[in-house]
Amino acid sequence: MIKRMLIMLTLLLTAAIFARLVLNYGEHQELGKLGAHYASQGPAELGAPNLVTAVVVTYRGLDTLGEVTVLFISAAGVGVMLRRRKQVPDDNEARKPSSEIVVTAAQLLLPMIFLFGIYVFVNGHLSPGGGFQGGAIIAAGSLLLLLALPQAEMRHRLISITESLSGFSYVVVGLLGVILAGGFLDNRIMSLGTYGSLFSAGAIPIIYTLIGLKVGSELSAVLDRFRQSD
Amino acid sequence: MNELIGSIIILTGSVFLFSAGLGILRMPDAYNRIQAGTKATTLGTMMVLLGLAVLHPAWTWKLLILVFFVLLTNPVSSHALARAAHRIHTPEADSTVIDQLEEEEQEEARAAAEGTNT
Repeated sequence: MIKRMLIMLTLLLTAAIFARLVLNYGEHQELGKLGAHYASQGPAELGAPNLVTAVVVTYRGLDTLGEVTVLFISAAGVGVMLRRRKQVPDDNEARKPSSEIVVTAAQLLLPMIFLFGIYVFVNGHLSPGGGFQGGAIIAAGSLLLLLALPQAEMRHRLISITESLSGFSYVVVGLLGVILAGGFLDNRIMSLGTYGSLFSAGAIPIIYTLIGLKVGSELSAVLDRFRQSD
Repeated sequence: MNELIGSIIILTGSVFLFSAGLGILRMPDAYNRIQAGTKATTLGTMMVLLGLAVLHPAWTWKLLILVFFVLLTNPVSSHALARAAHRIHTPEADSTVIDQLEEEEQEEARAAAEGTNT
């Protein structure tokens, strides 16, 4: 009885909190000051048709660096928690190979998935998507590889080199922005190019490629660690 | 005219998708549900995409790529699911008559055993 009363009380309190939010809710009819500045000046200043990208990579580039760092720390945490077993277990015999259909389809699909991931982050400044999304697609491809071809081995050295190099270059590009242009991660260290073409918007495609490579290799490494510690 | 044809194709496709949902609810065991959910959704999704291609001819190539992707992934993934279900011995419906995969595996096991004996 008391339990039920408590639940009712909690529900009522929650309702009271959200009622204020709902009743006071009014849709914004126009952009705020900062949003208006981004929307009106962004395309001209940075040359990126995708405004979200302009905000994420350049105006708020430092936050993105923080996100990448968070991802790196979580990947490192997974690596510490799931330490690799020393003796390689002989479960390769117990594990039956995938059927021919699965193997063939996976081999056909893998290049397509990787290509699509690369497309998403290379076109990040033109169309929806970007480094994180492209990297996640690439990691999904690695997951397919791990599930469909369990005998395949990932090249850990290559993955960790890719990850470290891309993270390092990301920071270097950001610092170049401080030296050559207006501030950290300013994309105007290169010419803005033709508005709307693939090689445009200054350094944004480079930054997004680096983020995509970093996220993709990082998530793939996390997935592989999960597999090894099963 | 194009609008009418495209809408009819999409509607037919959604009828197939509906029957897939019905099949998942009504079929007696996991294997039957998998096959109901695969065949009907593959055709249904393809018809919806083709109907869209009739409605918007400019999107045709992109939609064809999507059709190809669905055609490739949907059957393969349900094949893998069904094999996995079979490996962990998911029970079959009582009305099941024949299990060729089981027979084949027993055959293989027997051949392997004979191979080690001789």
